[in-house]
Amino acid sequence: MKDVAFGQYYPARSFLHNLDPRLKILFLIAYIVAIFLAPSTNFYGLAACAFVLILAVIFSRVPVLKVLRAVRGVLFLLVFTALLNVLFHGGETVYWSYGILRITREGIIFSAILALRLMLLVTFSSLLTYTTTPVALTDAIESLLTPLKWIRFPVHELALIMSIALRFIPILSEETDRIKNAQKARGADFEHGGPIAKVRAFVPILIPLLLCAFRRADELGDAMDARCYMGSKNRTKYKKLRFSWRDIIAFFVGAALITGVVLIRIYLGAPL
Amino acid sequence: MRIVAEHLSYIYNARTPFAAKALDDVSLTIEEGEFYGIIGQTGSGKSTFVQHLNGLLRLPSSLKRKKKKKGKGVSPVLRVGEFDLSEKKTDFRALRKHVGMVFQYPEYQLFAETVEKDVAFGLLNFAEKGKKPSDEEVKRAVWEALEAVGLDPKEYAEKSPFELSGGQKRRVAIAGVIVTKPEILVLDEPAAGLDPLGKREVMDLLHKFHGDWCKTVVIVSHDMDEIAENCTRAAVFSEGKVVKEAPPKELFRETEELSSLGLDIPLVAKLCEALKERGVKIECDFTEDGFINAVLGRAALRGKEGQA
Repeated sequence: MKDVAFGQYYPARSFLHNLDPRLKILFLIAYIVAIFLAPSTNFYGLAACAFVLILAVIFSRVPVLKVLRAVRGVLFLLVFTALLNVLFHGGETVYWSYGILRITREGIIFSAILALRLMLLVTFSSLLTYTTTPVALTDAIESLLTPLKWIRFPVHELALIMSIALRFIPILSEETDRIKNAQKARGADFEHGGPIAKVRAFVPILIPLLLCAFRRADELGDAMDARCYMGSKNRTKYKKLRFSWRDIIAFFVGAALITGVVLIRIYLGAPL
Repeated sequence: MRIVAEHLSYIYNARTPFAAKALDDVSLTIEEGEFYGIIGQTGSGKSTFVQHLNGLLRLPSSLKRKKKKKGKGVSPVLRVGEFDLSEKKTDFRALRKHVGMVFQYPEYQLFAETVEKDVAFGLLNFAEKGKKPSDEEVKRAVWEALEAVGLDPKEYAEKSPFELSGGQKRRVAIAGVIVTKPEILVLDEPAAGLDPLGKREVMDLLHKFHGDWCKTVVIVSHDMDEIAENCTRAAVFSEGKVVKEAPPKELFRETEELSSLGLDIPLVAKLCEALKERGVKIECDFTEDGFINAVLGRAALRGKEGQA
């Protein structure tokens, strides 16, 4: 239970950890754009993206194995789409065919590029969650969404809801562990039995957990009232986000990547 | 059932940056029939230790240990009665039937529509396959357990556990554990969050169970008065280690060490200390009754001397 969803953050001191979270989000967006701008007929563009990823991993100080673990989650999707593409893509240089199935040179290249794109995408975004605390992420999102305040979109409230939700994930997961242990001590069995029995076995966990969540929500609401929380008006921040020299370097790396990929697309777009 | 632990260690989140050593080479023996206390500050490893007793936390399996043994050091041992908890094949459900565990704030584990159903939960879980107890048997056992925790079954059995008061909920939760008559009853801070009267009531309950219902009672607490008043023996945990183990009578004689560990001292021990500084030596076992008797005995002696 300890490693659910946002237990991803990998504490370390590194260049990437110290970047402004807003820049990291923008960089990720730029990176995704670059991945899909890269020509899908050859590997030059993606090679540039992969190079930036390797740089980022080195400067994040997150163990390589940990970064690669992110791919494991989408491995099935990766293999499945690659296989379909290899068999159905079609093309001129046919290696093998059976009925409508054809394995071609073009198909293999296409599916390899697609798989590579997915892998780069997943690893790079996981790098963001590895090097940024959830709190910093919500802060950054709030700051990036500020322009929406003009159309009266409740940016601050949204960010608050997000950070409360994030804060509660470890609390509730701990609570789940405790309740699960308590019921286990009373002989509850979560491993054996058919699917229906297994689902039913979770009732003694779910009900106390729900009650706990409501109780905590009530308490939090009271605590916020008691400290006169009034929403976004005139609130200042404890931690102000500021750009530093690191962010300028990262900005230029990102800009160079996009320009590079665009240039590759224009001048090196020829198929292999 | 005797509890024997030797060289027990436990690390949370091992091999991650969040790794935290909770137990460090703990060796303890708890004899059958004891009312055992486990004392320590928050984070001293006391809860981690008791969660080993019914297999909720496991020690490395014997196979792994053998491999390790070649390398270095001693291998951990944990036996509860005839159960060897370092063996992977051990039937942990059978073990849990014998070792009942009441967690901190047990009232938050209640879930069923009625008190009766909730208390019966453990009973039905531990029933052997094919030998489901009849409704009659279940009802009898549940009513007995409710009576034992001081709730009138006629009044409470059909109620929803969520409409009871905090103290009553806790009683129901305790009933849900003792209903299977475990030989060893482990309680993690059983009196936490209760008012002084409620605390005393819970401890009185435990004394009632001790002996008839459960041969051995183990309580985890940081309330020294509770330990001094109730326990036959107690172990002091600090930073994952057992730093002292003795009957309360000896444990609270030297109070400096406990204070240096950031632990409180029972009120009675404080009184004895204060009296000693003023030249009055009181020998007692640090229970309230023991103290009162010792003081009265002394007063009586003085009175006689005065008459003579």
